[in-house]
Amino acid sequence: MTDDPLLAVRDLKKHYPVRSGLLRRVTGQVKAVDGISFEVREGETVGLVGESGCGKSTTATSVLRLEEPTAGDVYFEGDDITAYDDDEQKRFRRRAQMVFQDPNSAFDPRMTVGESVAEPLAIHGLRDDDRQAEIVSDILERVGLSADDADRYPHEFSGGQKQRIALARALILNPDLLVADEPVSALDVSVQAEILSLLDDLQSELGLSMLLISHDLGVVREVCDRVGVMYLGEMVEVAPTEELFANPQHPYTEALLASIPEPDPRSRGEAVELTGDVPDPSNPPSGCSFHTRCPRVVPPEDFEFPDGSFRQVLDFRLAAENGDVDTDALAGDTALREEFGLPSSLPDPDAESVLAAAISDAASGDVEAAADRLADAFPTVCERTDPELVDTEAGHPAACHLHDAASEHAPPELTNPQD
Amino acid sequence: MSNPLLSVRDLHTTFDTDDGTVRAVDGVSFDVDAGETVCLVGESGSGKTVACESITKLIPTPPGEIAAGEVRFDGEDLTSLPDKQLTEYRGGRIGHVFQNPQGALDPVYTVGDQLVEAIRLHRDVPKSAARERAHSLLDRVGIGDVEDRIDDYPHQFSGGMKQRVVVAMALACDPDLLIADEPTTALDVTIQAQVLRLLDELQDERGMAMLFVTHDLGVVAEIADRVVVMYAGKVMETGDVYQVFENPSHPYTKALLECLPGRGRALETIGGTLPDPTDPPDGCRFHPRCPHAVPACEDGDQPAFEDVGGSHQASCVLYGADYDEPELAEANDD
Amino acid sequence: MPSTEQQSPLFTRIDWRDQSASLLDVRPRTAGLVLALAAVAVTFVYNHQVATTALVGTWDLRRMDWLLFVACILLVRYGVVPLVANWERSSGTVREFLRRPAGLLSLAWILGFAVLGLVGPELIGMPRVDFYADYQPPVFTTSHVTNIANVECVGPVTDAGCHGTWQYPLGTTSTGENVVNIVMYGAHIALKLSITAAMIMVVVATAVGTTAGYFGGWVDDVLMRYVDFQQTIPAIVVYIIVATMYLGKGLFTLALVFGLLNWGGIARLVRSETLERRESGYVRAARSAGASDLHVLRRHIIPNSAATVITAATRQIPLLILAQVLLAYLNLSDVRLRSLGEILNRALPPLGVGWWVVASITVFLVGTVLAFNVFGDTARDVLDPKEVA
Repeated sequence: MTDDPLLAVRDLKKHYPVRSGLLRRVTGQVKAVDGISFEVREGETVGLVGESGCGKSTTATSVLRLEEPTAGDVYFEGDDITAYDDDEQKRFRRRAQMVFQDPNSAFDPRMTVGESVAEPLAIHGLRDDDRQAEIVSDILERVGLSADDADRYPHEFSGGQKQRIALARALILNPDLLVADEPVSALDVSVQAEILSLLDDLQSELGLSMLLISHDLGVVREVCDRVGVMYLGEMVEVAPTEELFANPQHPYTEALLASIPEPDPRSRGEAVELTGDVPDPSNPPSGCSFHTRCPRVVPPEDFEFPDGSFRQVLDFRLAAENGDVDTDALAGDTALREEFGLPSSLPDPDAESVLAAAISDAASGDVEAAADRLADAFPTVCERTDPELVDTEAGHPAACHLHDAASEHAPPELTNPQD
Repeated sequence: MSNPLLSVRDLHTTFDTDDGTVRAVDGVSFDVDAGETVCLVGESGSGKTVACESITKLIPTPPGEIAAGEVRFDGEDLTSLPDKQLTEYRGGRIGHVFQNPQGALDPVYTVGDQLVEAIRLHRDVPKSAARERAHSLLDRVGIGDVEDRIDDYPHQFSGGMKQRVVVAMALACDPDLLIADEPTTALDVTIQAQVLRLLDELQDERGMAMLFVTHDLGVVAEIADRVVVMYAGKVMETGDVYQVFENPSHPYTKALLECLPGRGRALETIGGTLPDPTDPPDGCRFHPRCPHAVPACEDGDQPAFEDVGGSHQASCVLYGADYDEPELAEANDD
Repeated sequence: MPSTEQQSPLFTRIDWRDQSASLLDVRPRTAGLVLALAAVAVTFVYNHQVATTALVGTWDLRRMDWLLFVACILLVRYGVVPLVANWERSSGTVREFLRRPAGLLSLAWILGFAVLGLVGPELIGMPRVDFYADYQPPVFTTSHVTNIANVECVGPVTDAGCHGTWQYPLGTTSTGENVVNIVMYGAHIALKLSITAAMIMVVVATAVGTTAGYFGGWVDDVLMRYVDFQQTIPAIVVYIIVATMYLGKGLFTLALVFGLLNWGGIARLVRSETLERRESGYVRAARSAGASDLHVLRRHIIPNSAATVITAATRQIPLLILAQVLLAYLNLSDVRLRSLGEILNRALPPLGVGWWVVASITVFLVGTVLAFNVFGDTARDVLDPKEVA
């Protein structure tokens, strides 16, 4: 036994080329996954959460080398899987399995459930029909179906039952690692609960390690030991599950947690609302990619901004840069201030004079000048530099400039990004 | 007490399939008052979508058919109206928002043109006036720089923005009732929060009633005034949102709340599967899966509604005269 | 929950070191296919090197027959064997097919057509010229054919004219060939042509379509651009050129040229099916379980495009049959002696007299074309697994 984690991912990147034009020349890169690192230890369940387009599914397929990563290393029990030869690769395929989101497309409609579940056995050389049938019956019963179901066809089962069969197929090779990509998001909530508790039972029975990909923080909280939060291809925070929920360190995690509607009508309207959409991953913002939406974006040091007002100033600037300021409809300084939620004046006179000048630029139609003026006067560290994933005072790492000070002043041995 | 804006009484909607007649909605009644938000909540197969599509007869006929029942909107029975008059209501006094914004917008027209068309379908106004209204609607639903974007095509908008456009279209003729069928299910959670907030604000501004269909109890808690819980084509429980969440009375509602993941306690599961829609069980539809089922649950029709406090009602024999309530109450506190 | 909690699950007790997938692990049906193809190859070589005139006795095989052999072997391996081997599964499909009146009728016609084409010419022989029995009307009908010089009526003659007889149930041509024999021989030619050309199309289209769809990228680009290009070439023109200049105006050339030039549409369909299936859960699951591309293609992608391929191929067959008749009519297909086209050419005005020759051939052609189309439609309805789900 070594101390190596079962799965270690180091600086994984997966970029997809964007091709355009007649000759299909590469004109850009979608950085689906852009340098993420995490580990899955034996028997542990690690969750990856994030919104659509954050790269969590790409991470799953790249980690299993179902897609070739663009850069970075993936170690399985300390061995680099990108260096595997064919035999090693096949052995790895046996030991690391995947479950997919949509149970309805998960089965070949022409094959019986038994054949589908036994397929991995045949792929790995166990071709004895009787032996296969025996193993399939056993595993079907273990996932809560009956042995007779082996002769039925997938369309005869409900979504939840199909997901059980999918689990049986993934577990039949007795893998050490199970990667589950949104395993319950296509299911009804009562069925979700059944699948999640089945997963939990099987995991403890088999000593399985699991990487769970989900957009649903409730699901993650239910089954994961540790959670990584992803945003636009980057890992913004990694923490033990309860710690993450109790004490989120990254503003994105905070916002994500706050956006989940609570099944409690008394806590209505408490959500922190994020402004704007998720940026285009082929053209992510500079610096911290969350700065365009972050409610706690770091204001420039030379000025005083009351709580949250820098967010509005930045929103105004970003709108100006994108040409989203409709100067025809919004005549006059006050109308502009109102539209972007800007205060009638900022308390810091220096900041106010810059803002006032920018607004009158915009009001007189020169939106670009307004944007430039604001960009020059109010630089923010969030836009300039990409924050590293560093340990925070809460004890777990997050990638946010709000924690810069903490890490700079912390004793050196604690700044090691990997624990 | 004035009449409710929308009153659905004993609605039956059936679908003819190869496997038999599916009774998707099987005797459903509920009311929506003016200015109120009612949530139809249930899992897939509960009939919630069919119920709200039956209101303006949007169900595909055949195979679908409104077999019986009454849908009164502002005093008028919509089920007996001829199609021509019904189209006056659709998109006019009753607006619709569907789950998938992609499908609700025609990809070959600009969003501005689609809005103008929606307005002029019901209002006899010149194009310029309609366009002005489209402009202000888009502005209201939070599309930045409308002047530029009004002539964009749907594919140029993100999912959340498309749903805002769809909401704008539903509002085109100042409806009295907005029917929103899972409007946020296809959206990310941070975008969902934005859209929910928007709907809430719009409703306040316009005093519009909203019938909101969802499977997500979190969303229900966020937005509902009253809740109608459906299961297998029947209503299990109705009540004020606080009553339903704080004192869930029907065993199904309880089970549904228990199996929400991520509340930091052990997950409860319901067990069993949805009944066959072509051959539902006798008695209470939920009895084969119900942990509290008694022999009386197995016979006859769905139990009558019993008052469990105020306007809060549950269709469960345990609240009938023959039973005391303690056993259920016990399961309630943990 | 499982009652066998104490016992460790069976799948955890597999010793994977014992399980080595060997290349020698071949299924009998694959071995059978290889053997059959090898046998054809050996006989072919033998026929060309040793017994150059006749293979057995007077039976001489021509190149069309070789092609037909290979096509039949493929048809048996990929059509009949799976149907019979998985009878449990296929019986449901077959029953579903037969439950539909249109399917039943079309299948009956096609089977009749196939049996006629196979054994008809062997049993009752080729149409023969017989100037003592020319212009005979079909049974139950009469015709004033005796007005034509030198025509004797085989049946009784009344005021209504010459009566048809059971000797020539469908009548005879102007040169006295029995129309029954003509139709059977026509069926024989059509059958040969359909099997070979359809097989060529199916094999090439499946190979190209799946390769393009599954591997994507430049492979896809190159193959599909080629298909675009190929679809601009009219097969009929190529046939005329190749037939007159190189290979001769025979069925062989026809099958080869039409088979090799008409698969583009099918390949496109197969490609789009493949694109869809490539992303499906079961393909991804198989790949993540370590399946090779070959395994995925053979187990999942190709079998699942079968419905599309069968439907598309059955639509091509009537076109082929009609094309052959047309070419023979234009004297561009020289199928030793009498093809339907050639007979039509002689039977239609100004040369023709008896309406029955044209009528018989037309009924046969229309029926066959219709049967294949209906068969294709029904097969698609029955085989489409999406409908079941």
